[in-house]
Amino acid sequence: MKVDIDKVFPIDGPSSNAWTFLQDIPGVAGCMPGAEITEKVDDSNYVGKVKVKVGPATMAFNGKIELQNIDAEKREMTMQGKGQDTKGSSSATMDLTASVRETANGKCEVVGVATITVTGKMASLGGRMMNSVADQILNQFGANFVNNVLAMGEGEVAKEAAVKAAEQPKELNGLAFAWGLIVTFFKNLFGGKK
Amino acid sequence: MSTEDTREEELKGVGCSRKRKEDPRFIQGKGNYVDDVKLPGMLVGKVVRSPYAHAKIVSINKEAALALPGVHAVLTAEDLKPLGLHWMPTLAGDVCAVLADEKVSFQYQEVAFVIADNRYIAVDGADLVEVEYEELPVVVDPHHAMDADAAIVRDDLVGKDEAGQGSRKHNNHIFNWDVGDKDATDRAFESAEVTVKQKMINHRVHASPLETCGCVASFDKVKGDMTVYMTSQAPHIVRTVITLLSGIPESKVRVIAPDIGGGFGNKVGIYPGYVCAIVASIVLGRPVKWIEDRIENLSTTAFARDYHMEGELAADKDGKIKALRVNVLADHGAFNTHAQPTKWPAGLFSICTGSYDIPVAYANVDGVFTNKAPGGVSYRCSFRVTEAVYVVERMIDVLAQKIGMDPAEIRMKNFIQPEQFPYQSALGWEYDSGNYPAALKKVMEAVDYEGLRKEQAEKKARGEIMGIGLCTFTEIVGAGPSKACDILGVGMFDSAEIRIHPTGSAIARMGTISQGQGHETTYAQIIATELGLSSDDIQIEEGDTDTAPYGLGTYGSRTTPVGGAATVKAARKIREKARKIAAHLLEVSENDLEWDVDQFRVVGSPDQAKSMKEIAWAAYNNVPDGMEMGLEAVDYYDPPNFTFPFGAYLAVVDIDKFTGVTTIRRFYALDDCGTRINPMIIEGQVHGGLNEGYAVAMGQELPYDTEGNLLGNTFMDYFWPTMVETPKWELDYTVTPSPHHPMGAKGVAESPHVGSIPCFSNAINDAFMQFGAEKHIDMPHNAFRVWKTLQEMGLNKD
Repeated sequence: MKVDIDKVFPIDGPSSNAWTFLQDIPGVAGCMPGAEITEKVDDSNYVGKVKVKVGPATMAFNGKIELQNIDAEKREMTMQGKGQDTKGSSSATMDLTASVRETANGKCEVVGVATITVTGKMASLGGRMMNSVADQILNQFGANFVNNVLAMGEGEVAKEAAVKAAEQPKELNGLAFAWGLIVTFFKNLFGGKK
Repeated sequence: MSTEDTREEELKGVGCSRKRKEDPRFIQGKGNYVDDVKLPGMLVGKVVRSPYAHAKIVSINKEAALALPGVHAVLTAEDLKPLGLHWMPTLAGDVCAVLADEKVSFQYQEVAFVIADNRYIAVDGADLVEVEYEELPVVVDPHHAMDADAAIVRDDLVGKDEAGQGSRKHNNHIFNWDVGDKDATDRAFESAEVTVKQKMINHRVHASPLETCGCVASFDKVKGDMTVYMTSQAPHIVRTVITLLSGIPESKVRVIAPDIGGGFGNKVGIYPGYVCAIVASIVLGRPVKWIEDRIENLSTTAFARDYHMEGELAADKDGKIKALRVNVLADHGAFNTHAQPTKWPAGLFSICTGSYDIPVAYANVDGVFTNKAPGGVSYRCSFRVTEAVYVVERMIDVLAQKIGMDPAEIRMKNFIQPEQFPYQSALGWEYDSGNYPAALKKVMEAVDYEGLRKEQAEKKARGEIMGIGLCTFTEIVGAGPSKACDILGVGMFDSAEIRIHPTGSAIARMGTISQGQGHETTYAQIIATELGLSSDDIQIEEGDTDTAPYGLGTYGSRTTPVGGAATVKAARKIREKARKIAAHLLEVSENDLEWDVDQFRVVGSPDQAKSMKEIAWAAYNNVPDGMEMGLEAVDYYDPPNFTFPFGAYLAVVDIDKFTGVTTIRRFYALDDCGTRINPMIIEGQVHGGLNEGYAVAMGQELPYDTEGNLLGNTFMDYFWPTMVETPKWELDYTVTPSPHHPMGAKGVAESPHVGSIPCFSNAINDAFMQFGAEKHIDMPHNAFRVWKTLQEMGLNKD
């Protein structure tokens, strides 16, 4: 099944920092909760893994990331992440286009457009939660990303962000995650954003 | 009451609502199902399945699984290859992968088989089998299966211009089949005053019997015997297939179908799990059990339907039908594993002219491969009668709407009349008997049809949504005449063997197999009436190929029309011998004797008589000169024709316009299955079939997403109506015996399934048509989908 997600993360800092960080693949991957790059094959190919823990179930995904295009002029990059869980029962592919846009007063925002394709057990059993799950993962990702970019700056804000970035959860936190889902569910139910 | 009536009553024969003989053991938990079979040294197998709908298998690593204590072996296609068993023939002339050979073609396809000490270890072991896949583009929508750039579902068929059922025109094409006079039909449409055309989908569903599929295979290395306990609706043909596949002589293969917890066609096919268990037992020399879990059952074994139909009717402006044309695209999934008679790739779909006197008709069916589970057997599906009845019953309503005629009136106008039987249909069938107008009239009077229509109009004026659905179907069951029907070259006869013991009790064995239908009860009633012995003293056994005579099994409502007929014929052979013995005992001529309930008596001298019990005793000690001892007979019955049960159903629904929830206020079902053997069992069968029809029409669905992921394979998603949802059924009947069946019986189990689905759908469509709905609304009519229609039509406002 396919899920399309558009996200915008405003950053209270200069766009040049955001663009620099966006090109640091291991750094960006590290923003994904529970994910890490384990091997750099070449400048555009990486091998990594993601561990997702929800309640008693742990799913470990091994995958490849391919940097498909970097357009420095437009400050836009496209990449594809492809993974399969180690039990071979599910797989996921994410096609992501991320770009940095300048906004007013020297601030910027990161715009991500992603298509996530899921097959296997995860699609069959978790299909009805996919949108919310992906949304939550990307929200955590966005927060980490923003902290990392802010940490490249100076002053108190940067220090604080650096601490937060260092403390970011090493695993996708199931409980916080489940709570996020519940909140999203009720927000949608009572006429919040669709 | 005369003594004759009392004697007849004591037999508990045909027409008696005798309590089911099977039930005491079932309600006490004493049934013996396949999963109850536990043999010494038995191992358990678990199938490793593909997460992908279409992918190349790059590698399979068994090491971690084999290292797990308690795992005995892991089988893959590579292991089966030397035995030639990595592929197997299907009942539809195609082949099917036992374990995926180089690639997988549907999600949950069998990739490896782990055999371990118990189920827990087997499941853990299966998790440890590492399979590396390379995903391939998928074909999910059958309408795009034959696109020029469509992915190839079956690499093994590339370059082959046929797949076992005639020529094909694309790599994903299986067959094209047509029937009827195309030119005459086209001409009738060209000159017709009114024509209607409508696309509709009989969506993919699953029969989901309470008991899933499974087997225990036990190979005796010393004797070279193979015994397989199996959830099979056709144990004898399974034995033949095992012999053809394994080379073990049929005399050394024993297939036992013990108690079965529901079949509905789900247990007709031969599944990879069975083959793996059999191979594993031969290789390991120990019994191996394989039982599906619920997800496996819903995902892989024998779905139903997936028929994408376009129906057309031509008529005059008064509603008299002139012609029918149907075009079908059939999604068969990744392998063609249907189980229909060889000659008919679309089964008995040509019954689609229904109960109506339609002068010309033409049906055209294309079957295609897609990256979905194979099957298409269950729920009457290989025979395609449900689809055929759906299209004609929906189309007649579409026509009625177009010309502004009442659905009951248009049916009355087009019915085949009682005096037209035996009726030759435009698509080649000879309907045996029927009285359609009488059946519909009886239903309309029982429910006050006029009153309901009046109420509907009043409700509409108040903005309330009520629908009335009709279905006046004709079934075709009892496959079938061997000149027309065979499976793998074996004619579709069936058999009965009856043996009367000296004290007048009896044992009888049949080639059919009950899955809950109550054969132990009803077969005994047939014999009781034919032979004048109490049905309580008649033991019925089925399902063991070592003891029962060869038969084609139980599916498609064929037990009563075929096995029942064999039973009558065998009993009559015994009665003829009994007549000779009675004549000998009474010292009269055979011609002077007449049959009287439970005895032969001398015509004109009723006191001189010999009861069947006395004759049975004599059969073992005092028979006429030259006659052999004993009292038994066997009959293999090859029916001269199918039987054509029919019915008239009516549904009244109320739709909540804000929530889309549909309440089935009334469902009135009149069935005519010819002679009624056990009215209570018939009612039970009808209740079951109506529940299924309700489930299919109102909620069941196996939905696939665009990547070929199955999104509804647990009971969280898959609708299973329980007593909470199920409406109250009102039953009625007429009796129009079949002229060619020895006791006039026609079969009933599938009528309610086949007839109720279009009835529900017609009711929902009727509800919306009165508010101006222009297009047909497809099933399943669950609350969400009904709500969407309400929303689209703007009906969910105050």
